Amino acid sequence: MIEVGDLHVVFGRGTALEKHALRGVDLIIPEGQFVTVIGSNGAGKSTFLAALAGDVLPERGRVAIDGVDVTRWPTPKRAAYVARVFQDPMAGTCAALTIEENMALAASRGARRGLGRAVSRERHARFRDRIAELGLGLENRLGDRIGLLSGGQRQAISLLMATLAGCKILLLDEHTAALDPATADFVIGLTRRIVAEKRLTALMVTHSMRQALDVGDRTVMLHEGRVVLDVAGEERAGLDVPHLLDLFARQRGGVDITDDSLLIG
Amino acid sequence: MSDVAFFGAVEIGLVYALVALGVYLSFRVLDFPDLTVDGSFPLGAAVAATWIVSGGNPWLGSLAAMLAGAGAGLVTALLNVRFRILHLLASILTMIALFSINLRVMGRPNVAILMQDTVLTPFYGLGLPDHIVRPLAVGVVALVAVALLAWFLTSEFGLAMRATGVNARMARAQGVETDGHVYFGIALSNALVALAGALFAQTNGFADVTTGIGTIVVGLAAVIVGETLVPLRGLAGALLGCVIGSILYRLAVQLALSADVVGLEAADLNLVTAVLVAVALILPRSRLRVAKVAK
Repeated sequence: MIEVGDLHVVFGRGTALEKHALRGVDLIIPEGQFVTVIGSNGAGKSTFLAALAGDVLPERGRVAIDGVDVTRWPTPKRAAYVARVFQDPMAGTCAALTIEENMALAASRGARRGLGRAVSRERHARFRDRIAELGLGLENRLGDRIGLLSGGQRQAISLLMATLAGCKILLLDEHTAALDPATADFVIGLTRRIVAEKRLTALMVTHSMRQALDVGDRTVMLHEGRVVLDVAGEERAGLDVPHLLDLFARQRGGVDITDDSLLIG
Repeated sequence: MSDVAFFGAVEIGLVYALVALGVYLSFRVLDFPDLTVDGSFPLGAAVAATWIVSGGNPWLGSLAAMLAGAGAGLVTALLNVRFRILHLLASILTMIALFSINLRVMGRPNVAILMQDTVLTPFYGLGLPDHIVRPLAVGVVALVAVALLAWFLTSEFGLAMRATGVNARMARAQGVETDGHVYFGIALSNALVALAGALFAQTNGFADVTTGIGTIVVGLAAVIVGETLVPLRGLAGALLGCVIGSILYRLAVQLALSADVVGLEAADLNLVTAVLVAVALILPRSRLRVAKVAK
């Protein structure tokens, strides 16, 4: 379970560029729930994810994972609880390392790293099996540099990497935004399957309203650093994209946003 | 080139192979351009020479040299990681400071090791000529260093260090304490360079405070020559490439200096080095451009 209480994040406090990115976010995510997060640019979606991951330390408020207060924990310490997939396929993997080396790094997330062989025979076999499940034909390329793969292939492997070690929460930061539509569909399908199979608690930021309603079991809308919409269950099932766009527009002060290219239905 | 000159070049190439391995760790693995080595090479020489001249065990003296080098590396890493000084500048500060420290360690600008036992002494008794014993002994040290580094860099800890250099954000997200890996890597790099300095002092019979000038360029030259000319793949291949590159580089320099037609003398060594490194850096790029034009 993830508990976020009165979370405030301010960038550049005291400078001309001071930005109050989160203004008191309250959110409780029960175990096993898959939450999608939407909001316009600058609403605080990425900052919220960064605050959960530890990249950004809040000025005020509290983040607890399974009852453990992690508010002041730096990213590496939190990594035992938090698995992530980044928007940029380059960001989530090490281009210069091989596929299996990247997987070995992820398999030891949150564990002590000693002087034992990183890619042991046992691991090699396990990675091979796991990567074969993707159906991308990559199981014979474990020794290739991951930088040689396409963005979609790298995102698929990033997802797989996130599940090699246990986690309390999976953070997906627009992880399909950099992909072409067909590849994005594949990665979303894979995301659903992995979250369901491993019964993960997950948070997915997306720019697509359609995706936000279709995927997962709860949708949260952020605006100017606050939660302005939080729907689940039947209420959410009754929503469709035009409803959501309408709600979205009202939050932005009634401005018509149908031509906003960022809000892809 | 005479036999003695040839083996002399191989010997000095093998000594600097340890520098190349250290530079590979900082520049290539950690992506941390570390110029501390210009100070930690003579530091290693100074510590080992002073230790040996004052009657200490040469093996312990070499170990002390490595520890001193590691300490120098830690200072550079501290300035960069903790106090956010740009890595190049941080390493230059340590390098400059080490010049004074090296003078303090020796108490004078140079120390000669004349009659004392060195780590090479036991090998001179094997019945081979001295100019062959020295490269053999240093070569064994270099190969052991390659083997240990190859094992280290493919371990879980070493892999985390490589990830730190390639993509620190990703490494942190995977739970890697990237700061700690920078400290350890730069310390290890400078320990290797200081060991090279200690061996240099023992094979040449002296330590001098000025021997450090240009160490970084020679180390980098060896790494680049290895990467360009040695077709070995994988991590162990890259490390061996550093060793072979270092020897090839020394042979090239020796050849350039001993070819009378060219008219170069020993004083031109640094110029030759700088030109060689510049050419080695420019060549791969212009080759890329040619390939692009050809398309």
